[in-house]
Amino acid sequence: MISVLRLSLPLGLWLASFSAVYGLHGLLCSSRWAEPPIAPPERALLIGATLAAIALQALCLLILRSPRWREPDPRLRSISLALAAVALLAAAWTMLPVVAFSSCL
Amino acid sequence: MNALRRHRALSRIWASEPGLRGWFTTVNHTDLGRMFLAVAIFFFIVGGILAMLIRAQLASPRSAFLGPDHYNQIFTMHGTIMMFLFAIPFFEGLAVYLLPKMLGTRDLAFPRLTAYGFWCYVFGGSMMIFSLLAGVAPDSGWFMYPPLSSTIGAPGINSDFWLIGITFVEISAISAAVEITVTVLRYRAPGMSLSRMPIFAWYALVTAVMILTGFPPLILGSILLELERAFDMPFFQVAAGGDALLWQHLFWLFGHPEVYIIFLPAAGAISTILPVMARTRLMGYGWVVAAAVSLGVLSFGLWVHHMFTTGIPHMGLAFFSAASTLVAVPTAVQIFAWIGTLSKGRPSLHLPMLWLLAFFATFVIGGLTGVMVAIVPFDWQAHDTYFIVAHLHYVLVGGFVFPMLAALYYWMPHFTGRKTYFKLGNTAFWLIVPGLHGTFLLLHWAGLLGMRRRIDTYESGQGWEAINLIASISGFVMSIGFALVLIDVVINAAVAIRGSRDPWKAGTLEWAMPTPSAPYNFASLPQVTSREPLYDAPDLPVRLARGEGYLGDPSRGRRETLSVEIATGAPRYITVFPGNTFLPMLMSAVTGLFFLGMLLKTYWLVPISATGVICCALYWVWSLGGTTREGALPVGHGPELLTAGEVADPPGWWGSIFLLLANGTFFGSLLFGYIFLWTIAPNWPPPRYAEPGPDVALAALAGAGLAALGPRLRPGTGLLLLLPGLGGLAWAGIRILTRVPDPTAHAYDATLWVLMGYALLHLAVALVMALFVAARGRTGHVGAIIGGEPRIARLWSDYAVLVSGIAVLAAALPGWLT
Repeated sequence: MISVLRLSLPLGLWLASFSAVYGLHGLLCSSRWAEPPIAPPERALLIGATLAAIALQALCLLILRSPRWREPDPRLRSISLALAAVALLAAAWTMLPVVAFSSCL
Repeated sequence: MNALRRHRALSRIWASEPGLRGWFTTVNHTDLGRMFLAVAIFFFIVGGILAMLIRAQLASPRSAFLGPDHYNQIFTMHGTIMMFLFAIPFFEGLAVYLLPKMLGTRDLAFPRLTAYGFWCYVFGGSMMIFSLLAGVAPDSGWFMYPPLSSTIGAPGINSDFWLIGITFVEISAISAAVEITVTVLRYRAPGMSLSRMPIFAWYALVTAVMILTGFPPLILGSILLELERAFDMPFFQVAAGGDALLWQHLFWLFGHPEVYIIFLPAAGAISTILPVMARTRLMGYGWVVAAAVSLGVLSFGLWVHHMFTTGIPHMGLAFFSAASTLVAVPTAVQIFAWIGTLSKGRPSLHLPMLWLLAFFATFVIGGLTGVMVAIVPFDWQAHDTYFIVAHLHYVLVGGFVFPMLAALYYWMPHFTGRKTYFKLGNTAFWLIVPGLHGTFLLLHWAGLLGMRRRIDTYESGQGWEAINLIASISGFVMSIGFALVLIDVVINAAVAIRGSRDPWKAGTLEWAMPTPSAPYNFASLPQVTSREPLYDAPDLPVRLARGEGYLGDPSRGRRETLSVEIATGAPRYITVFPGNTFLPMLMSAVTGLFFLGMLLKTYWLVPISATGVICCALYWVWSLGGTTREGALPVGHGPELLTAGEVADPPGWWGSIFLLLANGTFFGSLLFGYIFLWTIAPNWPPPRYAEPGPDVALAALAGAGLAALGPRLRPGTGLLLLLPGLGGLAWAGIRILTRVPDPTAHAYDATLWVLMGYALLHLAVALVMALFVAARGRTGHVGAIIGGEPRIARLWSDYAVLVSGIAVLAAALPGWLT
């Protein structure tokens, strides 16, 4: 089961962080949450969440490369590392809009 | 014992009952796989006939062939049948038939569950067909957007047939997904590590996990919409705090992964067939596995790209536009791996290969138009036009039907044991492929010229007439081609000459048996040392027939196979399968009564049939295992292994893990819906929040503590703590409901009723399971005393505690925060 987890963790983490950033965006743009006195600095929060997501993906890649946690089967190890790299790139690419688009328009 | 005697002995043990009775009592995967495929093909024919009615209607402007009411039913049922009653069940049928043979085992993990899923599919599908024949079929489009599908837009019974019938059919999909996941992970030939698995098994595993996580949002949406229709609980009614967009989110959380749930099995078939046709091995096995997993997960981040025109903020659109373009990368990795395999080998143009070439040509076009509609400004122009209709048919026919036709012709010698002798299939190919492109290529232009999807007629003079006429004629040409395929398959299956064991010279294990296969698959289970065992050991089939593998001795007179370690494939324990029984069919019929009661609003039938289902389920589980400890038994090749009833992680434990994955996704979707309504929906806050007092918090906390601790203590003491613990949690839930007594008042109240209902249901399940295991222990069942049954019950009670706690917290949160 640990082998399966090593394969499913990186992109599972991406899915969770992608959903979380989208959910955060929804909250920040909600008329109920964005009104004073709790109007938050939405862009900064979204960029912070994105950076945290990218850092988590990088950490996941490092963990899967470490001698303690890496997959013993060489073929599965290369698959798990490839997936971790894909997840890191996916996090950067899919959350890129936080710096480029108007958030609640 | 010689090979013939072994064959006779194993056939006596594994065979289905003879005659008509055998159809209803079989639990054998070979029979059920064929039955799944046959019924799926029947539904494909029905869906195809409906498509021809659509094309007949649209062939000319102002056509009076069908009135709008009938047309709405027909296009809705065409989409519904093709997606839910053909594509997914066809994959299930193929996987049910093939996986145990490819993996080198004797059956799927839960044979009776396979049968139960099949009968749910048949009964649920029949419900849908009945609605069509009675003229009350669903008519709100296959994605059933409210308010068009709610009582406001569809006051009749039509939408109820969809919501209840499809939910019934989805039991089948969830059953098959649990079955496939556990089988791929735990039921393989000894030595078949994950990295030695046939590529089709990887695809089946990814698809099954996607079904487990993709279908629950739709099941939830269907339940909520039916609750709104039947009991006025206003989840999707804006005036009472609901939001129609919630349905779109829930539907597309399922709907987009669904596209890949359909494509990935086809990709698995391509990755299996193409190297054999090219007489080489698959290039980049690891990359293809990584691409399949990536595609499976990334597809869950795309759902909003079906909602680009709903007014979502630009940044939200950009997230999903980026994710939608990203998904092209793993798709391309697979395409390049297949092209590389072709260039490495020496392809021969047999019929399966022709279909694969048709797949390439068609799917690449569909994929590229997919990238076009992933770009927001283009989608705004093309949304809900025939461009989308053309795109989705290129993807689904090119990406699923063509590879499945390749699979049909590739594995037909295995199904029938005969050569593919008659060549009608080649003629059919040259009708279907040009027919498809003639139908749908031009419809892209019709869409760009402004032809909206779902219109029942159109005026002349808009530039659509010639396109539609050509599309209709081509559509009928394609249909004639499909009819020829059917005739070809029937003739070949009935009268073609007997074939050899491995006609394509393939290397995977399904060809290491006589065809058509014996009910036990392998006379003895192989020890696997590579991904294509037949290439490395061509005499393997003979050695297995001689009983030189594992479990080659049938003297224990029962259905046995091996369960293995997930990663390494080392043998772990012996699983003893149940025999033929009416029970799955009976239980699915009783389940059908439950749904029928809901459909016809004869609510007295619902609790009676629910009780019937519980009784069937208890009898089902009670009949598992025995009261005698067998200890370690010889399996051949030295090791002695325990049976599943005497180990801590029996198949039921693994089945529960994956069922809870689906269940957890359902609960997560419910929480998402709650948060969505709370933050986005108009007309909030509700007149009053529940605001549970300290008594509720105390009961929930104490109950959760006792119920979590109980199953970890000795059986007697544990039960004494568990029962009041579950009771405390239930009391907290009921107290909350007393504070929102009218679930029709506001979407908040309605959501709380569903949250608490879900929690109470799971507390009841945990209670029944705990009492059941206690009764099994008292009657001396080995599984309840030294085996994994208490662990399974604990898994469910822990889950019940978790979701009940979260439900109580979720109910209290809005009141506390405001």
